[in-house]
Amino acid sequence: MSASSSFRDGLLAAVPTLRAFAVSLAKNADRADDLVQETLVKAWDKQDSFQPGTNLKAWLFTILRNEFYSQMRKRRREVEDSDGSITARLSIHPAQDGSSDLNDFRRALELLPEDQREAIILIGASGFSYEEAAEICGCAVGTIKSRVSRARSRLQEILSITGEGDFGPDPITAQVTNSPAVV
Amino acid sequence: MTRMFKDVGQDADDERGMTYQKLDKGRSGKRNSVTDPLGPNSEIGRKLRQYYDDLISEEVPDRFSQLLNQLQQQEQQGSTAKED
Repeated sequence: MSASSSFRDGLLAAVPTLRAFAVSLAKNADRADDLVQETLVKAWDKQDSFQPGTNLKAWLFTILRNEFYSQMRKRRREVEDSDGSITARLSIHPAQDGSSDLNDFRRALELLPEDQREAIILIGASGFSYEEAAEICGCAVGTIKSRVSRARSRLQEILSITGEGDFGPDPITAQVTNSPAVV
Repeated sequence: MTRMFKDVGQDADDERGMTYQKLDKGRSGKRNSVTDPLGPNSEIGRKLRQYYDDLISEEVPDRFSQLLNQLQQQEQQGSTAKED
């Protein structure tokens, strides 16, 4: 019973960072909370497969990520659509407070393909090592490195364009329509 | 026998070396920024952390602790039921 209590405490302590990762992936707060909830239930069911002393956070991120992609595949099948309009519709920008600088960054981040976005979040924000991130994403360390590097150049590119387009109609829309690289 | 194992080991090392070499291609002369491309001196790195810290510091809805309490209760009830 005390083992289950400490497991419970570990999960609860991880909720804020799990939510942050989920929002980064899902781009939508409600969907993110559903993902976190699903992750906690799955983690609880699988607690026997967790080895105490190993990285609980990485283990939970792996579960959350798998859940995200399996939901996404399900959705894609459900709303099978021509071209990339699904992605555009799924990308919801709720009104958020905070500096416009941060909002620009958030929107830029949302323009990245999922694999690049998750890589740069895991490495640059969640504090994982390249090795841990590779394990979470089930790919090679080198793949993570190149995704992070591409994500970073892409963000730099988008953000400087955003800055220049301050007086234009909508820099993000312009970015999407002008750039064939966004997919 | 020993030699064979040694060869196997070397092959593995070579392969790893090759992979890293391949990965480093195209970024020649930028090794340092690649080592820590999102470090404290990087604007993108700073913004990323600001974005993420903002999310982390959001208030966590009660539903998560309630859910965990529920899961724990179910488990405890389950194990008592088995003992009975």
